[in-house]
Amino acid sequence: MMTRSSETRATLAPGIVPAHVAGMQPVSRRGALKGAAATLAAPALPALAQTPTASPPPRRLDQPLFGAVSWTLGNGLRVVLAENRRAPVAAHYLFASAGAGEDPAGKSGVAHFLEHMMFKGSPNIPSGAFSHTVAREGGQDNAFTSRDVTAYYQIVEASRLPLMMRMESDRLRTPLIPADELESERGVVLEERRSRTDAVPRGRFREAFDAAMWGREHWRGRPLIGWEDEIRAITRQDLVDFHNLHYAPANCVLVVAGDVREADLRRWADEFYAPIPTRPAPPRNRAPLASSAPESRIESRDPAVRESSFLKTFAAPSATWGEKSSVDPLEVVAHLLGGGTGSRLHKALVETGLAVGAGAGYDGDTVGVGTFGVYATPRQGVETARIEQAIEAVLTDLVQQGASEEEVRRGIRQQTAGSLLALDGLGAAPRLLGGALAIGLPLDFVEHWPKRMAEVTRDQVNAAARAVLADPKIATAGWLLPA
Amino acid sequence: MTDTLFGVELPPRRGFSVPIQVVEQGGITAWLVEDHSVPVVSLAWAWPQGAAADPVGKEGLASISAAMLSEGAGDLDNVGFADALRDEGIDLSFSGGRDSFEGSFRTLTDALPEAVRLAQLAMTRPRLDAEALGRVRARALLASRQSLETPAGLARRAFWEAGFPGFSAGRLSTPDSINAITQEDIRACLAAQVTRGRLLVAASGAIDAAGLRRLLGELFGALPEGTLAATPPLPALASFGITQRPKAAPQSTLVFGQDGLLPIDPGWESFQVALRILAGGGFTSRLMKSVREERGLTYGIGAGLDLLFGRAIVVGQVQTANASVGEVWNLIRAAWREMAANGPTEAEVADALAFLGGSLPLQFTDSRRTANLLLNLRQTGRAPEWLAGRPARLAAIDRTKVAEAAARVLKPDGLVLAVAGEPVGL
Repeated sequence: MMTRSSETRATLAPGIVPAHVAGMQPVSRRGALKGAAATLAAPALPALAQTPTASPPPRRLDQPLFGAVSWTLGNGLRVVLAENRRAPVAAHYLFASAGAGEDPAGKSGVAHFLEHMMFKGSPNIPSGAFSHTVAREGGQDNAFTSRDVTAYYQIVEASRLPLMMRMESDRLRTPLIPADELESERGVVLEERRSRTDAVPRGRFREAFDAAMWGREHWRGRPLIGWEDEIRAITRQDLVDFHNLHYAPANCVLVVAGDVREADLRRWADEFYAPIPTRPAPPRNRAPLASSAPESRIESRDPAVRESSFLKTFAAPSATWGEKSSVDPLEVVAHLLGGGTGSRLHKALVETGLAVGAGAGYDGDTVGVGTFGVYATPRQGVETARIEQAIEAVLTDLVQQGASEEEVRRGIRQQTAGSLLALDGLGAAPRLLGGALAIGLPLDFVEHWPKRMAEVTRDQVNAAARAVLADPKIATAGWLLPA
Repeated sequence: MTDTLFGVELPPRRGFSVPIQVVEQGGITAWLVEDHSVPVVSLAWAWPQGAAADPVGKEGLASISAAMLSEGAGDLDNVGFADALRDEGIDLSFSGGRDSFEGSFRTLTDALPEAVRLAQLAMTRPRLDAEALGRVRARALLASRQSLETPAGLARRAFWEAGFPGFSAGRLSTPDSINAITQEDIRACLAAQVTRGRLLVAASGAIDAAGLRRLLGELFGALPEGTLAATPPLPALASFGITQRPKAAPQSTLVFGQDGLLPIDPGWESFQVALRILAGGGFTSRLMKSVREERGLTYGIGAGLDLLFGRAIVVGQVQTANASVGEVWNLIRAAWREMAANGPTEAEVADALAFLGGSLPLQFTDSRRTANLLLNLRQTGRAPEWLAGRPARLAAIDRTKVAEAAARVLKPDGLVLAVAGEPVGL
């Protein structure tokens, strides 16, 4: 995920140097629900003087996680409210249902460049005034671009929410994209590319890996930030066209979380967002996949690398593509295969001393094809072939023998046990709800995830594992090695 | 405060206060921010020392010792311990920092007894199995070597090595030092470190004072009293000028800094305002405007105050294409010089104060963040009342005070720089 800027924290207590280069963690629905919500950048509040001392009754599995409400404005803008009265703070997120996957052919980087230029003014808000105003009000603002969405957000004291809505709706309607600021911002984007990729051997490898697996010019194989030569070629008109096409109200989702009443939000949404003229929402118009990976194997030797890494990725169903009912079972597969200590890959590679680390991951909250990956970092001196053999043995065993009932039940329990921790903050709700709606999924996809997971069966898990891992049509294996 | 902005009416802010309760049990005190709206409890605790006590040649000992606490305890081996935590969705972790040793957990209230049991078990009966040490050591070696793959990793390391040669703040772990660490070293480190002495605790979430008091007894009551020594103070940051680490890469990382102002200094908050205007916080600082917004020379630049070993050090970082390193370094020093000589404008001070005051509610985010903040305040030596007094202290700051603090502390000619890459123009 690309962001406008890596995020910083205001410090009451010093001792923390702002992480200007650390960047923001990509957030997946399941990652957050599994209890990683605190890796989210956005805050929420505890402890007010008048909080009641009695604990609320325990929640049941069949209750919606956030209890969000949703409605649609006349121009098609979807509005979501996840109320949370812990403290006088509101998080305000606007998602456009367009990301790097919508970059025009040969112009990778347009969605992300536009995200940067959205801070350069709109008819009523001068360039730079947006972030200046948010800061002056004590808030935080930023934006991020993924393959599927571009999102803009502010976190402010709750009484400042209408001001945020005023400013955000102004640039949603008409960003200025001033020509005389284009080249300096292009420089910023190119520096961002160097910081994330060109100066980082593991970044270079990930980029080469995706290009090998999906094709250098395919929407799935291009870097989110864009190829350098294509970033250099982007024109102002490209950005204007992208905004005109994709930032239609009906192609956007507004999510507010925090200490906000529904009636107030309805009034403000009507005042600030409803007057934006209706435009048609464009369909996602992405190229189909090739029948096989352009390169099923790569080896990158890099003089900057000190430690080898192995990665193998399989094309997989997602919540919007292929066998959609496999999405929850594949989460279980990823967990029991490589979800940390105790998983099959950990036992076979880490406990045995072959690897420093090994695991698996699944990303199925995507527009179009999802990905299932396994990875390992060998201990020094261990032959690469031994690592691959050990991984293949684990995968073959899972495909042929399947997972046990106990493994499946425990995997589900461990993945969902911490899901209520997503309520501990104002970051998880807008990112999960907005992220789902913006790729065409219903609210329930997030709200009832724990319940759905609890209903996943061993047969579903084993069938999903076989479908993805046995005889894959699109899969690539890659080694990053010291030169 | 403006009444309307861009046509939007700005009502007065709602009042916000964070009552901090101080809870004591058996000589151990904890700060608590209580909130029952979400069934979650976060606890964070810390001892001084950490890596400051690493013997010469065994750098990395505190960090590895901390990692070993999550690798099995009592009857639970590493897998059993990890499963016990994850079955209940408990996040428990320990870390060995540069001058502190810390533990924390976040858990749903239903699982609080189990979180306390496992954390207590980890601190009192860690297994320290040889196989587990092998895995933890391999991870540490990997991290140590990987950190040298990028200009950023090299430059950060170079800054501390050059800034505090011969002191633990400048002695960072190497493959040799990591390989030299034995089980006996870890046992000795934990015995000295994990005690009741000098322990600081902070809590936030769905727990009341009585519950926290019980928890303190269960969690820490069995620890030995301990005789943790005070960490020896550091000297001033060495004036090493510019140190370079060559690295074939299209972009260089610059880490720059100077000595800062200690939190006990009466001018500390004025200096905090000056530093925010010059180099802190998001998109509004002078450095961000000059280097990023106006010239497009970086993705991000900023500096903050780092506190360790009783010293305060201003540390900043920026990454820029090799060809622009000289220009960026000149811009940094020019901004430093201008702020030291002439201070901020009235408008800049008003903006910075508005941000610092207005952002108070946002600082108390989720329960884990709140607990960490309380712990940081304690580590900084603040009293519980410090927080409540903050708005009044900010209100008393004006341009003159900020300019004075800037002139007193900022040393444009004393800025030191560690740079890695293939920089041009230095």
